[in-house]
Amino acid sequence: MEAIVVEELTKKYGELTAVDRVSFKVSEGEVFSLLGPNGAGKTTTVEILECLRTPTSGDAFIKGLSVRDSSIVRRIKKIIGVLPQEFNAVGNLTVYENVELAAAAKQASDLKQVLEDLGLWEVRGRMFSKLSGGLKRRVGIAMALVGSPEIVFLDEPTTGLDPEARRETWLYIRRLKKQGSTVVLTTHYMEEAEKLSDRVAIIVKGRIAAEGEVKSLIARHGGKTKLLFEELDSRAAEMLRERGFEVEQRPSGRVVVRVGSDSEMFEVLTALRSMGYHVYPEIKQAGLEDVFLSVIGSKLSNTGELT
Amino acid sequence: MRTTATLIKLLFKTWIRSKVSLFFGLAFPIMLLLVFGTIFGGASPPNYRLYVRNLDVDSSGSPGVLSEAFIQALNNSVFEVVPLKPEDPTPRSTGFAAVRVLTIPKGFTSNLLNMTIANRVDITADTIRRMVEMAGAQIPEQARANITASMQAFTAFKQTIPAERKTLVLEGSPDDRVLQPIEGIINVIASKFELALLNASSAVEVKTTYSQARQMRTVDYYLPGYTAAFIMTNGLIGVSSLVSDMKRSGVIKLLASTPVSKTSWIVSLVVVQTFAALLLTAVMLAVGWAVFRITALPDFFSLSVILLGTLAFTGFGVLIGGVLREAEAVTAVGNTLSFPMMFLSGAFWPMELMPPFLQEVAKFVPLYYFHVALRETLLVGSLATAILPTAVVAVMALLGISLAVLTTKWRDF
Repeated sequence: MEAIVVEELTKKYGELTAVDRVSFKVSEGEVFSLLGPNGAGKTTTVEILECLRTPTSGDAFIKGLSVRDSSIVRRIKKIIGVLPQEFNAVGNLTVYENVELAAAAKQASDLKQVLEDLGLWEVRGRMFSKLSGGLKRRVGIAMALVGSPEIVFLDEPTTGLDPEARRETWLYIRRLKKQGSTVVLTTHYMEEAEKLSDRVAIIVKGRIAAEGEVKSLIARHGGKTKLLFEELDSRAAEMLRERGFEVEQRPSGRVVVRVGSDSEMFEVLTALRSMGYHVYPEIKQAGLEDVFLSVIGSKLSNTGELT
Repeated sequence: MRTTATLIKLLFKTWIRSKVSLFFGLAFPIMLLLVFGTIFGGASPPNYRLYVRNLDVDSSGSPGVLSEAFIQALNNSVFEVVPLKPEDPTPRSTGFAAVRVLTIPKGFTSNLLNMTIANRVDITADTIRRMVEMAGAQIPEQARANITASMQAFTAFKQTIPAERKTLVLEGSPDDRVLQPIEGIINVIASKFELALLNASSAVEVKTTYSQARQMRTVDYYLPGYTAAFIMTNGLIGVSSLVSDMKRSGVIKLLASTPVSKTSWIVSLVVVQTFAALLLTAVMLAVGWAVFRITALPDFFSLSVILLGTLAFTGFGVLIGGVLREAEAVTAVGNTLSFPMMFLSGAFWPMELMPPFLQEVAKFVPLYYFHVALRETLLVGSLATAILPTAVVAVMALLGISLAVLTTKWRDF
């Protein structure tokens, strides 16, 4: 069953079309990511789903309830949890008090449980302003999760975090999935979308450019597996070309061989070994980065810009 | 209800834990009261304004000749005479300048004229008696008898003249330290007036009476002024910054994504600010009593004025914090509105010290009505004179809260 159905959703700000006829569905218990560069319309899309923005046209349904119908917005708000983009809780309230604020707003009673689940019970008395970046984000997630929402919206939950804190946040998102929550995630981190999502929609300039399960997207658009050799001379490269492999010699001296399957990979290594090359390549599977490059024609930087 | 109560509790915690809020919401006003109260807070500087109520008028309302001349004589002296009509109420102290009213009694002119005639009779009779004594036997017997008879008739005529001393009543505050010297000056002027115009003496006396109204010291003026001014800054600067911070950090967005209504949010802000305003008032009154012996206890009406002022300025604070996007712009607008209002409204110093045109300007400043209403209800205890400024503050409260509700966005930020 669909937790979210988005139909031809459009949002315009004057002449600017931030979201342009976007449609997708999110099933119950699924982690769905909107992946795209800054300004692509990810936040506008989720804020429409969160009943924080009114669409110009089109509609979206949360558990069958239309976000356009102001008379049922309160019902939608009772079943969602939201972590806004660049969220910072109240600096001079403690961890407990900040989550209590969200719990009061949602009339929830599972405050202690959420704090324990997210490992915040021990630091509940600490002022929010004194916490590390990772803990701060964890408090934000706790504020989104209190009240056991059926659908959780996490808008760029790891932006600005160091790698360790980012991985820690991923753990909590995975745990959410295990608990059966439906999660809608926006991100510009390829790795994040790839590792956490069941399905991904790549959104650029307000439009969905590609959408589907991560594996099928990679299979469809990602291309071949890359074997990266640090030291391989021209003779070996030429020999592999003659055998029909796609070989690229990079200015750095690296040689990249693209293979379509594990058997091709084995064939490359056997051929090299038979010529006396005992080399061990770095194997790079195709990923969302390749999908993005293939679909959009640009790369996405770590700061969320198209390059 | 439970949601709003928790919001109130948590917002109050953010207020009480914020060093800036505590400084500007409590410490700074107390510092100002202590510093300015100690330096400038004593008795008011003397002035010589004298209200004159002339009851000596005829049936058409025209003043008697002599009472008009007497008022002219007062006006030519040190006094700044402000005439009052007989039906005018006694002016009330604005809280700082002393109010003194000299009442000229009914029949002042006719009585002084009669006193003059009586005096002339006495002088004439005395002159004739001395002349007869000095002339002695030179006056024939028959003539002497005629003179004696005439003198008896003359004396009998004097008995028929209705003449009595008239009393000028000088009413002032027992706190007015120049009331006694002023009584002395009026006595001197009255004596000269009698002699110069009437050649009579002891026709007029001055009697001083004390009104119930207190004449305030400057520190009495400061207390409600500072209290109102900092309730205003708590709203315009404190609330606007809080709303702006919470908007920027996403807290308002998070709240808006929950079932909590924006009404609960605004009510919570108002309740916390009302508590802060009451706390400020209580602390100011306690310090005022402990250091300057200011005795005032808030009653229902002064508490209502505090509530209305808090509603008004909290509403305007929510409006500023909600409408402006940049934190710097919020701070700039809050300060730009607050500081000129503090200085132009007369909240920081008595209005009487301001030039007349600035006193008129003050009446266009919202804070003016708040501090006047608070002073009238808190210290003067005059409801009649508090009604107009309180009504203006009530309108401001309605406007402020309406604008806050209209401009606070819970969707489409």
